[in-house]
Amino acid sequence: MDYLFLIGCSLFIIGAIASVLIQPVRKALSFFVLINTLAAAINLIFAIKRLIELPQVSNLFPVFPQYASMFRADGLALFFLLIITTAAIPTVISTYSYLKHYIHKETSVRVFIISFSLLLLFTQLLVFANHGIVFLVFWELMTLTAYLGMLLEKEKEEVQKGSFVFFTATHLATFFLYIFFFLLNDNCGSWLFSDFHISSASGTVFYLVCLFGFLGFGMKAGFMPMHFWLPWAHPIAPAALSAFLSGVIIKTGIYGIFRIIEFCSPLPVWMGLVILTVSLFSAVFGVWYALAQHDIKELLAYHSIENIGIIGIGIGLGVIGITNSIQPLVWLGFGGALFHTFNHAIFKSLLFLGSGVICHNYKTRNIEKMGGIVHHAPWFVGFFLIGSIAISGIPPLNGFMSEFLIFKGFFNGAAALGEYYPLLMLLMTAGLAFVGGLALMCFTKINSIMFLGTERSRLDSFKVSRTDHTAMGILAFLCIFFGIFPQSILGIISSAVTLSRNELDMHPYAMFTRWEFLTVIFAGVLLIVMVMIIWKKFSTKQRISDAWGCGYTPQTPRMQYTASSYADEINSIASHTLQIKKHAILPKTMFPKKSNFVSHSEDFSEKRIAAPVYNYIVSKINSFDFLSKTDIRFYISLMLVIAVIYSIIAIIWP
Amino acid sequence: MALRILQGLLPFLFILGLSPLLVGLINKQKALLTGRTGAPIWQPYYELIRLSRKETIYAKTASFVSRLAPVVVFSAVLIAGFMLPVGYTRPLLSFNGDIVVFAYLLGLARFFQIIGAMDIGSSFEGMGAAREATFAVFAEPIYFFTIGSLAFVSGYTSLYEIYLSIRLDNPSSLVFIIVSSISAFFLMVTECSRMPVDDPNTHLELTMIHEVMILDNSGVDLFLYQYSSYIKIMIYGIYEVLFFNPFGMQNQWLGFSLFIVLLLLLSTIVAWVETMIARLKMKNVPQYLLFATAIGILDLLIYTFVK
Repeated sequence: MDYLFLIGCSLFIIGAIASVLIQPVRKALSFFVLINTLAAAINLIFAIKRLIELPQVSNLFPVFPQYASMFRADGLALFFLLIITTAAIPTVISTYSYLKHYIHKETSVRVFIISFSLLLLFTQLLVFANHGIVFLVFWELMTLTAYLGMLLEKEKEEVQKGSFVFFTATHLATFFLYIFFFLLNDNCGSWLFSDFHISSASGTVFYLVCLFGFLGFGMKAGFMPMHFWLPWAHPIAPAALSAFLSGVIIKTGIYGIFRIIEFCSPLPVWMGLVILTVSLFSAVFGVWYALAQHDIKELLAYHSIENIGIIGIGIGLGVIGITNSIQPLVWLGFGGALFHTFNHAIFKSLLFLGSGVICHNYKTRNIEKMGGIVHHAPWFVGFFLIGSIAISGIPPLNGFMSEFLIFKGFFNGAAALGEYYPLLMLLMTAGLAFVGGLALMCFTKINSIMFLGTERSRLDSFKVSRTDHTAMGILAFLCIFFGIFPQSILGIISSAVTLSRNELDMHPYAMFTRWEFLTVIFAGVLLIVMVMIIWKKFSTKQRISDAWGCGYTPQTPRMQYTASSYADEINSIASHTLQIKKHAILPKTMFPKKSNFVSHSEDFSEKRIAAPVYNYIVSKINSFDFLSKTDIRFYISLMLVIAVIYSIIAIIWP
Repeated sequence: MALRILQGLLPFLFILGLSPLLVGLINKQKALLTGRTGAPIWQPYYELIRLSRKETIYAKTASFVSRLAPVVVFSAVLIAGFMLPVGYTRPLLSFNGDIVVFAYLLGLARFFQIIGAMDIGSSFEGMGAAREATFAVFAEPIYFFTIGSLAFVSGYTSLYEIYLSIRLDNPSSLVFIIVSSISAFFLMVTECSRMPVDDPNTHLELTMIHEVMILDNSGVDLFLYQYSSYIKIMIYGIYEVLFFNPFGMQNQWLGFSLFIVLLLLLSTIVAWVETMIARLKMKNVPQYLLFATAIGILDLLIYTFVK
């Protein structure tokens, strides 16, 4: 039993090595898909089994007892392993047909295969790390392998630019984390996570630790002012990698935030309120920016920010619950956040894999050029639709269930805390409802524009391979399953919350509502749908005819609503924040010349915050330009000077 | 148990059977107020029967989405109707947190109505769908500012218990309820596509929301859409009326009669408002809805501090 994880991890390594050795590359690809699916499945079984059995923290790698303290399998780590492996299986399956396109074009895919299997491995080891340095090493390796995987189409300029933004942004995050861990080590005298404890009694250090931790992990997760790298990195990554990036890798930031809450306990209440506010801000503007995008992958990247916001709201609730020691609120907040993390990994992977298929067929990511895909690939559209309904938080799919927990958290928190909390929680509730409305608008937009209606540009065939159908089918099934039957995972979430907090048993709180009613409701909806479909089929005559044109017959595909026109009404309300730029050459004279209209949105925090700060730093560094000489002796003497200064400081330091 | 289920089924039959009548009543009163004779109050029933017999025509560009959408819309709205108390009978589906499920089931209906409309690829439906989606964004928070604020004040999260907790005995809560009900009325008008947000009778594609979304539906599909819009009016009517129905818990029959009277009164108010007010400009609708949100917030603030 204990060897399961070890076997899984070694299979990932074998997969990586074998993909270098096996010739030809097509066989290596098949081997990679098979062995990585198997390895992820083994680790998935390991995670579920451990979470159900509720063991005490024990050695992860029984062969190497000397490293026992380096790794720890607590509830949180196991739950994140569950998330990683659940998302890994379908993404690995989908790489089969995705990479085949590149093999046809004779692009080298071996680097991608190696880095992807190592990425899967390192991400899993990361969540088990119990040692600050080990954590940072895996953190760095995860970033590096993701970066290497992104460079699959390295000859394209946007890929070079986007991957560079990813690389720098994650390293900035890593820089904050170095400070975070050094401060913790300095204060606790140990590198082990299990020894990290710091309370607000230690004064400034406590707040510094919190600040750097939240900056580092928050940047990785993509909370709103620090999110600017996401819309750069996601579009240029290969579909499987962007699915994994959005579904799992940004979640390591969420994992880190859970760790901060564990190390720095109890967090003051105001910090919980700050988390709530920042998260709501991320959720609202994440989805609003998404509404303004035409690039399918960029749009999905902004949706990750929205969902990270929703997860953050859950975490904020949990923090408030801890400080006021209200156990049900802790469960609803953290449980909701963990459940949404899991759900987001499922439906976001589904949507990104779908977007990969679309981009392959269309050779563009611009949704304004698409349309009418449903007539070519109804199953594919059905799966994508399920993912869209789930991400909009609409029942009976899983996205609703986790939002439901968070909604319940608002009500529960307000009832238990009193004072001004009902008002605050009401505002949060309305905010989350507003986010839901915007998400609904956004996903009706992309589904309608991409799939429905008629083709805006010619599309002869739309190929969806069998592996794509399998991968998306698995994910769509999971969306439905955890939506209709959430009880199945609530127990596991309770274990994760209980195990990671070492507190009271959280299981009773999972029964805060009578879940069977929800099942009855959804079953009722499905039943009526079935009955009605049968009734429709047999009761009436059907005929196919032209669409209603209001007396105007020569309709063309270009007359359809576009994504911009669909979203224009709502985007014009926030046009200042969204920085929507419109360029139009309008027909003016009686015999108009060629006219056109372009609109796009710029990221506020990128243009107004990140870029100015970056430029300022660059200009400051450039002022040291006089130090750069062509002679190497100059550099050596500089190093000597620095070394002397350091030694003097070391000698006179008390 | 059997009696309980039977009791729970009665409200359901009430909603299913009488919702066209409510619409008929509104239309009749509106006609009378504008000096016309108007169609008989049974007209919506005749129309439903007529539609269910007609053949269904699909556009050439239509896919499985527009075949599925009317069915999903109808069933989601119908099941949402199961969750509302009719004159203080405990609804069949009543549990902690059903306030959220109710709102999101209607969200499911909206999602499918929008993609069903967009499925044709016609710019008329696109226009209606874009408007519906935009206004829904602003309508959604109003729901939580009205019934949601009651939930926060009372501490219950089930619609039935929230309505039961309403007391009209002290002035501050009376004002609170009245102002909330005004916000709720705004919401009802928006969600049910009535004036001044939407004009169901213009028959000009450019000026409508709901009617233009179902332009290409006919026969059974149109039957389902129309029926679900009638049910929606009934649902939001009940949602509005229950704010003022605190007597039901003492005497079930008294409560029920009061409920009916209030529902009739509501139909008169809707007809009267539709007679008096012209439709708003489309670009002003978000402001109208934000106004409703704003008075909801203000009301809650006042209540919290006075209480």
